[in-house]
Amino acid sequence: MSFMKELTKGIIKENPTFVIVLGMCPTLATSTSVNNAIGMGLAATFVLICSNIFISLIKNITPDKIRIPVYVIVIAAFVSIVDMSMAAYLPALHKSLGLFIPLIVVNCIIMGRAEAYANKNNVINSIADGIGMGLGFTLALCLVATIREILGNGTWLNIRVMPETYDPMLITLLAPGAFITLGLLMGLMNMLKEKK
Amino acid sequence: MKDRFIVSPAPHFHDQTTTKNVMWNVVLALTPALIFAIYFWGFKSLLLTLLGAVSAMVTEAIIQKLRKVPITVSDGSAFLTGMLLAYNINAGAPWWIPVLGAAFAIAIGKQVFGGLGNNPVNPALLGRAFLMASWPTLMTAGWSIPKGGTLSGITDPSVIAVNLQNLSPKAYDLVTGATPLKVAQTLRDSSFVSSLSANAEQGFDLANRIFTNLTDLSALKNLFWGNIGGCIGEVSVFALLLGAAYLLYKNIIEWRIPLFYIGTVFVLSFFLAPLKGSGFSPLLPFFHIFSGGLMLGAFFMATDYTTTPITKSGRIIFAIGCGILTVVIRLYGGYPEGVSYSILFMNVLTPLIDKFNMPKAFGRVKK
Amino acid sequence: MKIFLQLGLILLAFCVVATALLAYVNSITKPQIDSIQQKEAEETRRKLIPDSDFEEIQGEFTYYIAKDSKTGEVKGYVFTAEKNGYNGPVKTMAAVDKDYNIIAINVIQQTETPGLGTNSTQPKFTDQFKGKTVEQLIVDKDGGVPPNCIKAITGATITTRAVTNSLKESIEMLKTQVQTKNITPNETGAKEEVNK
Repeated sequence: MSFMKELTKGIIKENPTFVIVLGMCPTLATSTSVNNAIGMGLAATFVLICSNIFISLIKNITPDKIRIPVYVIVIAAFVSIVDMSMAAYLPALHKSLGLFIPLIVVNCIIMGRAEAYANKNNVINSIADGIGMGLGFTLALCLVATIREILGNGTWLNIRVMPETYDPMLITLLAPGAFITLGLLMGLMNMLKEKK
Repeated sequence: MKDRFIVSPAPHFHDQTTTKNVMWNVVLALTPALIFAIYFWGFKSLLLTLLGAVSAMVTEAIIQKLRKVPITVSDGSAFLTGMLLAYNINAGAPWWIPVLGAAFAIAIGKQVFGGLGNNPVNPALLGRAFLMASWPTLMTAGWSIPKGGTLSGITDPSVIAVNLQNLSPKAYDLVTGATPLKVAQTLRDSSFVSSLSANAEQGFDLANRIFTNLTDLSALKNLFWGNIGGCIGEVSVFALLLGAAYLLYKNIIEWRIPLFYIGTVFVLSFFLAPLKGSGFSPLLPFFHIFSGGLMLGAFFMATDYTTTPITKSGRIIFAIGCGILTVVIRLYGGYPEGVSYSILFMNVLTPLIDKFNMPKAFGRVKK
Repeated sequence: MKIFLQLGLILLAFCVVATALLAYVNSITKPQIDSIQQKEAEETRRKLIPDSDFEEIQGEFTYYIAKDSKTGEVKGYVFTAEKNGYNGPVKTMAAVDKDYNIIAINVIQQTETPGLGTNSTQPKFTDQFKGKTVEQLIVDKDGGVPPNCIKAITGATITTRAVTNSLKESIEMLKTQVQTKNITPNETGAKEEVNK
């Protein structure tokens, strides 16, 4: 498969959130505002690319039987290193993204791509896959967050878009609102796909 | 010709009951409560009810059109959902509250699952839960005072007002600004009671006095007729019982769920509801079954066909569960009223109750 | 049996490498992170009570005495209060004047629900604490009468309670600490004057 194809498949065709349905926990938890969504999305993309590279590099020396624990160690170690170095040298960035970094360890998109893609493909394609999946995840998060932030807070990226008199629909910021929004968007996606 | 030659197993009787017939009969049974509401709060309550009903019907029609299934708005089920939802909101609510609530109830509570008969929980109650989570202040504050009554149902407002205003402005605010169940809940809060007066004993005394007033015969009379603060369709026990009697007579609802539901609340509240320091009172259980949305919930919402167990024993379990949860939420929970959440909770448990109450198949060998 | 041993050893090797790497990164970044955190705490203290020097009093309850940097006069006290909120501990740094009325507060650490509990860090919430006495530290939902109480954040009463009640408890502790401490220094101070 070509590099471009690997890159773009994660955005719509194999969108990790709406199609593969991976990484639901961070999607539900961090989609309360577009700010958070972008932060989480980019942090996850970064880790995803790096872990894909790592896994792809070591795929020949990891025995098949213990590959999952190896992935866990590699990803957890990597995330911790990113977390610590960011806290030490980029404190401002860490302040806004730091909250999401521990969440990335349990983001199963990263495990999922390591298992389903990176351990079978070469480094270049794995990078493309990481970028595409990461962007797809970021876009999906932003879409959910846009709906939730506008309805639940009357703002988008902290800019007020609803009139001052708008009484925010608080449920969209709560867990049930996250499930309902995600469910409806997934339904909409499937409906559009069937039409094609 | 094809339709006339049906081979089916027994029973072969059909009593001409149709969905349409049942739904519009329930709407008819709910009408007395609406008439009382119009008397208490004026035509605004009628307007809110109609807005809820129309919004529900429009939503149902639009979604059925999108789903490309037959449009069944005239069967009255959407009208009933919208009406029940509006009965669960406060007469002082803005016009868009019943509109959005009913639309949510039909769209997310019913059509998402495939329409009538497929919804796991009562759509009207889901709509109410949605409104409660989204606009808690609009749903639980700003109650309108009913014509010829008080919000808390305490009868002698002049005597109490004068007495309380001198003793404690906080207590005065409570009895003039909260619904009966909210007053009862606040009086159970020890930090509120101790803040009533600098003297702890005096504050405690005052709380007990308000509580006695809240549950005395004259207050119960107000609760029965409904000239108290509350949601549009829930206040008048009399009107709701009238409608319930009609439905029972017509065999549309079954007596088990309301009886066991209200009975459980009655028994539990006798033992659990007394305020610290006050003894058991035979009037207190009546306060708990007459107040809040219990009558509306027990007769009109916990009896919904789709979301309640099929077997008789299952229905009794369902009703007792609702009763226990209602009392637990009222006495120990964060909300003053627990009818809607308890029914929703038991709705979700219904498939499980049905599973464990499956009647034995005839002719099988016992394992 | 041999294969298990082999796999175990490979996994062990991965763990050792990962742990060593983490330990190394930690040893480099730890001092840097600590100094950043200390600097931040110092800055927060300065923001709460400007133009002051801080003297740390360690003990059962650690607090700082703020003295005017010119006159040396005691302006108030700064301390950190902590209590469990909805998702974990909520840490608040607060400054009180000599009469224990709140000068300002700053929620410095929390992991509350984004969009709801996280609003506790916003000035809209923290500003209402200014000038409150200990008695006024009561959440409106717990029977407080406005304006002599703390207005709960919509949808985050538990977070509001955590902040308000932790402050209340900490001020009480501060009071007893300062009082027991004041008895001894005053006595020695008096003696010194006699000696002169």
